[in-house]
Amino acid sequence: MSRAHMFGFTVLAVAVAVGVVVPYAFGSYLVSIVTLALIYSLYAMSIDLMGGYGGLVTLGQGGILATGSYGVAYVAARLGGGFGQQLLWGVLATVLISAVFAVMAMRTSQVYFLMVTLAQGMIVWGFVTRSTRLGAENGLRGIARPPAFSAYWKYYYLCLAIVVICGLLMALITRSPLGLSMRALKDSESRLHMLGYNLAATKFYVFMLSGFFAGVAGMLLAYYTKFVSPSNAAFAISGRGVLMAILGGIGTLFGPVIGAFIIVLTENILSLYIARWTTVLGLIFILTIMFAPDGLVGAGRSAFARWRGRRGDAGGTGGRSDLLEARHGAGPLDERSAVRSDPESGSRSGPLEGETTT
Amino acid sequence: MSLDFIAVQLLNGLSFAALLFFLASGFTLIFGLMRIVNLAHGAFYLVGGYVALTTVAATGNFWLGLLAGPLAMAVTGLVTERVLLRPIRGRELPEVLLTVGIAFVFADMALEFWGGDPRTIQPPEFLRGGMDLGFVTYPRYRVFVMLGALLVGAALFLLHSRTRYGAIVRAGVDDREMIGALGIDIDRVFAGIFVFGSVLAGLAGVIGGGLLSLLPGADTEILLYSLAVVIIGGLGSLPGAVIGSLIVGLADAFGRALAPELSYFTLFAPMALILVLRPRGLLGSK
Repeated sequence: MSRAHMFGFTVLAVAVAVGVVVPYAFGSYLVSIVTLALIYSLYAMSIDLMGGYGGLVTLGQGGILATGSYGVAYVAARLGGGFGQQLLWGVLATVLISAVFAVMAMRTSQVYFLMVTLAQGMIVWGFVTRSTRLGAENGLRGIARPPAFSAYWKYYYLCLAIVVICGLLMALITRSPLGLSMRALKDSESRLHMLGYNLAATKFYVFMLSGFFAGVAGMLLAYYTKFVSPSNAAFAISGRGVLMAILGGIGTLFGPVIGAFIIVLTENILSLYIARWTTVLGLIFILTIMFAPDGLVGAGRSAFARWRGRRGDAGGTGGRSDLLEARHGAGPLDERSAVRSDPESGSRSGPLEGETTT
Repeated sequence: MSLDFIAVQLLNGLSFAALLFFLASGFTLIFGLMRIVNLAHGAFYLVGGYVALTTVAATGNFWLGLLAGPLAMAVTGLVTERVLLRPIRGRELPEVLLTVGIAFVFADMALEFWGGDPRTIQPPEFLRGGMDLGFVTYPRYRVFVMLGALLVGAALFLLHSRTRYGAIVRAGVDDREMIGALGIDIDRVFAGIFVFGSVLAGLAGVIGGGLLSLLPGADTEILLYSLAVVIIGGLGSLPGAVIGSLIVGLADAFGRALAPELSYFTLFAPMALILVLRPRGLLGSK
């Protein structure tokens, strides 16, 4: 087992241990906020799976999250079905919508992909806002948690377990053959294409997997709030997910968890004092992009690498934000970014880091 | 389906297409030259409209509003380009994501200053009421919007194809490094085109404030329509913006009239079709 693996497992073990202790240490209010942060962690990781590893940044993941929520809510509130049926519909709706959206988006890349997914997310929003069957602007009520998990702390443990399992699955995916072709997709589409890989198919699978995890997060969210409304599908939710991923560190899977916790906790604390939380969110967004495009995990890694005398062994696997370094243009220009991402520079990062390390 | 009904829906579609053209042309010009997808374009639209609303309310003069909205967006565009976008120039995704942050801040500030109720801008006296077009009576303001779009569209095409500025922009689209080598200050060209696009967004906001209404969420909704226009027409192409606006405007008008519950589907279906068949849009390059 490599040192990077050891590091990863240690972080995971500590995080899970802390997670198990939380309900004993804090009151019900804080535990339910941490539950929400866990759900958003899964959501942000699903964005990272596609964006950080595959280089396909989505601005429409909120639409898929909401699809999972609405699938559960529709059965619970309108059809009166049991939990098995609710889960089935939640998954089916997610998979179906993901497949349709994936087919639409699989031939695009970079900003086109971003634009297409943004439009898709907003169409889901428009649909649930208008559909009277889905409660239109009033949303759907009458969702109940399974009796075994109705207490706040029991639901917390359920979410913790599901998020950890899904996180491990995603980590496995990034190390699988599909995960490797995903990373190649990010580094150089044209090269991958020349090697005989089917770009569209790779993107389709990645989109489906990412959509599935977002849908699971959406289903957990529906049981968490026991209520869904069009605001679940709002553009702000998609944007927030991307912010969580970037703030924590895109391409690291664990970074988005940190990002999700920071955003959810600050939102709940700050919104007690100021009414304009969205402005703060926007400012965090702008500042992160300008000064820490590698996110906190990336910044931590480069600090660690510097401390170790720039040996480049910062315990990372594929955490460099080539994504955020991506240059203009697709096609032939891809080669440029492939050339630029030289292995020598370790975790080279944003505008500021570049200046201070050299 | 009577002939009158078709005529009215046709006109509704065309006037909405006119509004979309104002937005999408700025959006597509900025992308064509700078490769920046400005997702704050919808927020610029909304705030431009709100500024005009306040101006009209204070002075009682529509034309001052029509001046103030775009002017405010010119300043906003200049500051955005110089202060926020320039430091990260050339890196596509950070640029787009930065504009998402700007959109968040603007939408929230608009809610703070102008509240959550739908507001509309009162057109000047002579543009209120209907006018007889021979076959149908139609609101004067909407006719004015269509004529305005024709005028601005024609001016844009002439500017783009006949003037030195247009030549610089076209050259910049083809090869940015080369026009820098020819002694043209590309930084100024970039700032200029970003400001120009923002002015068009502000102008659209004023017009849209009289045509639709200004309210929180209108920014993302109009952004969605603009995205549909450029995805269908082809990002970066001015003729593509015309075609895209017409398709989206007409599909939306007839969709709303015939199947109101599915109105978003009329937006979604042509977009999905184009993306599967021609991922770069009808007139997109490459």
